[in-house]
This record gives sequence, C-alpha cells and structure tokens, in this order.
Amino acid sequence: MATEKKMFLEALRKKFKESPEEKYTKFYIYDGWKQSKRKQEFVEWGTKLAKERGIPFYNPEMHLGGIPLGQRVLMPYKISQTDIYCEGDDLHFVNNAAMQQMWHDIRRTVIVGLDAAHMVLQKRLGKEVTPETVNHYLEILNHALPGAAVIQEHMVETHPGLVADSYVKVFTGDDELADEIDKRFLIDINKEFPADQAAQLKAAVGKRIYQVLRMPTIVAMTCDGGTMSRWSAMQISMSMVNAYKLMAGEAAIGEFAFAAKHAEVIEMGTLMPWRRARGPNEPGGIPLGYLADMCQASRVKPEDPTWVALEAISMGAVLYDQFWFGSYMSGGVGFTQYATCTYTDNILDDFCYYGADYVKKKYGGFGKAKPSWDLIKDIATEVSLYGLEQYERFPALMETHFGGSQRAAVVAAGAGVAVSLATGNCTAGINGWYLSQLLHKEEMGRLGFYGYDQQDQCGSANSFSYRSDEGLPFNLRGVNYPNYALNVGHQSAHTGIVQAAHSGRGDAWTTNPLIKIAFADKDLKFDFTHPRLCFGKGALREFMPAGERSLIIPSR
Amino acid sequence: MTTYKAQYYPGESKIAKNRKKYMDPSYKLKKLRTISDDDLVKLMGHRVPGEAYKSVHPPLEEMGEPVCPIRELVEPTPGAKAGDRIRYIQFTDSVYFTPLTPYMRAWMGHTRYRGVDIGVLSGRVPLEMRERDLEKVAKELVETEIFDPARCGIRGATVHGHSLRLDENGMMFDALRRFVFDKKTGEVVYVKDQIGVPLDKPISVGKPIKEEELREMTSEYRVDGVPFRQDKEMIEFVQRLHMLRTEAGFDPNKVKGI
Repeated sequence: MATEKKMFLEALRKKFKESPEEKYTKFYIYDGWKQSKRKQEFVEWGTKLAKERGIPFYNPEMHLGGIPLGQRVLMPYKISQTDIYCEGDDLHFVNNAAMQQMWHDIRRTVIVGLDAAHMVLQKRLGKEVTPETVNHYLEILNHALPGAAVIQEHMVETHPGLVADSYVKVFTGDDELADEIDKRFLIDINKEFPADQAAQLKAAVGKRIYQVLRMPTIVAMTCDGGTMSRWSAMQISMSMVNAYKLMAGEAAIGEFAFAAKHAEVIEMGTLMPWRRARGPNEPGGIPLGYLADMCQASRVKPEDPTWVALEAISMGAVLYDQFWFGSYMSGGVGFTQYATCTYTDNILDDFCYYGADYVKKKYGGFGKAKPSWDLIKDIATEVSLYGLEQYERFPALMETHFGGSQRAAVVAAGAGVAVSLATGNCTAGINGWYLSQLLHKEEMGRLGFYGYDQQDQCGSANSFSYRSDEGLPFNLRGVNYPNYALNVGHQSAHTGIVQAAHSGRGDAWTTNPLIKIAFADKDLKFDFTHPRLCFGKGALREFMPAGERSLIIPSR
Repeated sequence: MTTYKAQYYPGESKIAKNRKKYMDPSYKLKKLRTISDDDLVKLMGHRVPGEAYKSVHPPLEEMGEPVCPIRELVEPTPGAKAGDRIRYIQFTDSVYFTPLTPYMRAWMGHTRYRGVDIGVLSGRVPLEMRERDLEKVAKELVETEIFDPARCGIRGATVHGHSLRLDENGMMFDALRRFVFDKKTGEVVYVKDQIGVPLDKPISVGKPIKEEELREMTSEYRVDGVPFRQDKEMIEFVQRLHMLRTEAGFDPNKVKGI
C-alpha cells in the first residue's frame, strides 16, 4: 500500500545523506555552488560570455556579498512517479524546453466550429458541402495555416521548415461523418479515448464538426495569445475562398470572417481586465477546468483518478505558478523553487494516495458519497493531519519543502483532492482545501507568506459563494478570478481538485468536451498524456521542441 | 451585565495553554537573560549607540494637529510623539519546539504592545515600530522566555532556516552565519547584526534553552511533542469557524446561533 510505503522516502534518501528521520545535520561545508554540476556549468558559461560581451555576467560570488548559494545541500529533485532526478535549475521554464512547449502548444491552439461557415455556404450561397469538399478545404488550410498563400498571386510566405508544427484537424461526434473525413485530418474520438469516455464525448459534441488549429510555435513565441484567433481566422477565410471558389470580398466572406474570428471561436483563455491586461490565449485567462481538460492523463489511465489529478496538477504548477505568477505577474525567478513542490519527490503523491485510500476504505470508493459537512470535516481533517505529521516525523521532508507555502499547498491539495474523489464535487473539494489551510495554520502556528495566507483566510467564505464579485463555479475559476489573482501556489492544486472530482466519477472531461478532444492529438509536440514525464525529459535535455530557427541563423 | 473576559485562545492541551499565556498581557514573561541596551541597538543595526533618533516629522506638539476625536482617544507612543522613524526587528523561529510560532509572535505582539505593525510569514516575523518604542519592546522579545538563542534568529534578510534540520550544535541554519555557537562558553554569539553587517565585537545572547525545557514552553503542536490530534477542542473550534465562514459566504441567513 502506498500509505505504508511512504512514497517520498526514496527521494529523501537521494537528496540527503542522513536518514530522513534524522533531525541534525551539518551546514556550511558543501563548497557553495560548486556542489552543483548545473551551477558549475552556469559559471563556465557566464565566465566565457562575460568575456565575449564585455559586460559582467553570471557570477555567484555576487550573491550575498560573497556568500554564495549552497551553504546547505543543494538538493536534487525527483520528478514524481518517474525515475528522473534533476537539479532545481532544470525545472525553470527557461531551462526546460518541454515546459516551454507545453505552454506554446496551449497558446497556439484555437478551436473553430465549421457549422456556421457551412450554413453560409449552403443556405446563402447555394454551394454544396460534402465530406469531399471538407477534405479538400482541410488540405488547402493545411497548406495555408502555417503561413502560405492560397489566393494571392504575389505573396511572401513562411519557410515550411520553420512552421512544420502548424496544422489543422477536425473532430465530430458523428461517427458516419468521421468515417468520411480523411484520417490525416481527423482527431478520432473512438480511437483516442476509452469506449465509455468516447461515448460521453460524442454525445456532447453531437453532429457538429470543429476544427482544431495549431499555429506555428515560432508565432506563439514571437507574438501573443491574441494573435492566434486572428492568424487562424485569416487563413480559414482565405482557404474557404479557395476551396469553395468564392469571390474575394463578397458580402458572405464577412460572415466567414465573423464566424472564424468570433462566433465559432473557442479560445483557450479569456481576455483579462486592465489591471492584469492580457489578450485571449494567455495563461491568466485559462480556467482551471480548461487546463484540467487539456491534460490527457484521464484517457490513458482512467482506472487511477489520483494519478490523473496529479498529472493535471503538474501542468497547473508550470502554467499558473511558473509562467503566470512567476513571470507574467511578478517577474524574477523565485517561483520555480516554490512551484516544484507539487510535482517532485512523490510528496504530494503520497498525501493524495493516502487520502484516496482513506476514501476508498471509509466511503466505499470514489464519487459515491454526497457532499456533507461531516464528510468534508472528516476527510479534510484526516488528510491534513496526516500530511503535517509526515513533515514532523521526517525532518528531511520538512527541509525539502522548506517554505511554508509549499507545505500549505501540498497538505491542502491532498485534502482537497481526497474530498473531490469522495464526492465527485470539486466545490466540496475546494472547501476541504480551505479547512485544511485553517487547520494547518493553527497546528503549526504558521502557514505561508502574507499574500499566501490572505487568500486562504477568506477562502472558506467564497468557496460556495456565487455572488458576482466573488463567486463562480469552481471549474470556471482560475487566476483571473479576483480572489485568486495573487494566488501563487494554489492554482496547481486547484486544477487537480477539479480533475479529481471528475476523474473520480469517471467523467470523460471536467468542463469543456471540445477542449478535451482538441488535446487528444498525438501530433502535438508536448505529451499531454504524461506531462510530468515530459517535464522530466525537458530537465534531462531529451525533449525536442518546435520553434526551430537554425534554418535562418548562422551555424554555431 | 457580565464582564467580558478575554479567553485569548481555544484548546485544552499544554500547547493551547502556552498560547493563551503568551497572548495574555497580564502574564509577565520570565526574564532569562540580559542584553545591554547598547548591544541590542547594535544587533538591530538601525543606529549607533548614543546616536540621536532620526525623525520623519517634527514632534507632535509642534505640529498643530487638527481637532480629532481619535487623537483625543489614543495617546501617542513616545516614539510617535517625538516623530521617530519606523524601524524593525525581525525574528525567525525554528519549527523545532521554539517558544513562539510566527502567528503567536504576531498575536502576542498585538495583545501586548501598542503602535506595532507585524507581518507573518512561515519563516519570519517582521515587527515594525517607532524606533525608540521598538528598542523597548525588542528588549523584552530577546531577554525573556519567548526567545531561544539557538532556535530563534534575529534576521533582517536572508532569513531562511525555520524548517531546516539543526546543526551539530543544535543551532538553526543561517546562510549568513550571523550567530555562532561558542563551544568554550556554551553561549550563542552574534558576530553580525540582523541585516548581516559584521559587528565590532561579538554579542552574546546566552546559552541555548535545553530541548526538554523547550518542549514545555513551546506553542507549536508537533506529532513528536503534543500532537494536534489530541486537542479535540482545538480541532472542533477550527472546523466550526470554517463552517460558519462557509455558510455565511453562501447565505448569511443560514448562520444562526453563533
């Protein structure tokens, strides 16, 4: 049983030479940054490049007036539920190509329904739309979307070698129609999902047909999220003109453009208000439930909903904590050190599986109990106290999560995920999270930092609130929800609390079936079925991203 | 009409009793050591001993303040009267049985002192006051039972250490090594001030408190000390607080019988 093995012990033994139960150690003897191979590499490059550029550069002796990092063990990190160990530096998104690609794959995606365009073609223009014409249109769009011309006679275009990851596919809930679509363009729901999930998804999509468009990663890297629906809309409209032999500029084209730019578009993230101003398809506008649906763990291992939630949590940590809060909102590099706590060293895994086992034993399985005060109090208290007791039993564990916000996030995540699993209700799950935070604060007499604690001291009151200024169904909350706008260290686990509720009861998706299907795509560069493994490959420098530029730059 | 009597804190365990005791201003904190006024000023590093206090405004008496009922109600502290700068002392408290946890440090500060602005983080508690008021309060904070020389640290920046294991002398980690254990005297000695500037002369803050004593004095629940699970009143109090907040957030009319 996971709960008896303590999943985190193996990692703790690799991180520190003393036993995980040992309370005493030695400090100041590790030769600072020199104990780290990665820091040694940084120094080598920093020294070389400082000479080349003639401006001082990376120099760890600048740290604390000559007291470098590494006065204690600079510990390695195990990527949870993998065999991969890496250094903390390898988990900063700048140093990890897989993390970059996860974000780029999300940002460069838009979904655009085809039905409105087909209606215009058939009813307004009297054109025939058949599976053959759809296939023809998709072939044209696969030429045009990466950045090629389709109706102009003198036009600049993009180098295919730079934009090879850009394409369009479609999906539908109609098996007959799907059969007629060229397989090169189809996201086949029957093939990608287990049968029960496929049935749920097809019922939700019905006879409609949707395009999933991936703009080039290099565009995602150089422009913003708001670019994507514009880029796709332009190429869709041009391809329609070509495929259906339309007049360029006739009134009906305006309707294609409106459908492609607005009416039929599903962005991955919504616009944000001025104080956090970003366009659509930026991390801050992506609801928790959308991110959970982008994660594809639920279709490859549906029998283990705890694992599914943990995979979704890792994506939340990277996207919300490392990209959004860590860079978009705060700047600096500190948030990575903090955010890794939810996906390294099997610690949250241990707490979540403890909660899952407790739920199975006491409540007869997942999604079987109705939310109630007795249940929330029982499960959230038990899992929270279990987590806190592990930190106190194993000083090496406490040292691993050396910031209080890390411990608060991980303990409360265990509690929230367990309540979600038990009830299949993520609003109950988030309420369990908030009870956990209050218990943690009183038990240890400490929690996180000012801004961290503030969210959790008022969280109980907004967990069931639907008032306009503070309420929203939990699936639709995210970092754009007012109380979560400063909520670093929370949204990763919140993604998992949403996911656990739905995977616990066997749902094929959490919030939006279209998003779930759109990311069931083997041609994406990032592997959304195993995000933690993928981040680990990025850490080991074994992940090959898109965004190629070597074709247009001098060779090294 | 019954007289209100502050309870300060719920719970039935030894830890809860310690929390109540530290927060109750009628309880006199036990003095365990003496730090001279000058040494304390040096440890904080805001001014040189003997140097006049810097001010940010003229004395209140000279300012011609407007008529204001709040000003009539609230007697300014000496530092406020004089126009002192706001300065700080910041503590890091180890998770290993220190007398105060961060929230305790804040709540105790609020019940015992006036004119104080306290923040709480997991690994540090900044306490800001007018400078001359701060020096008075800091003396109590360092000289009494709520401070353990080895497991509490006076640290302005690079504070970390609260959650790390202890060193071979039982000292909390400090990347700046502001304090060291003097094996000859058995005392903890500061060689740098709280922000990390080397001191002219080391300042002793006394011998570490023995662990068995700390276990009696601590305000922290721990599974290897007094487990939180055993304090049922405490757990039920937190659960009730959470339920009331939740129900009030959903529909205030649901909350009855508080």
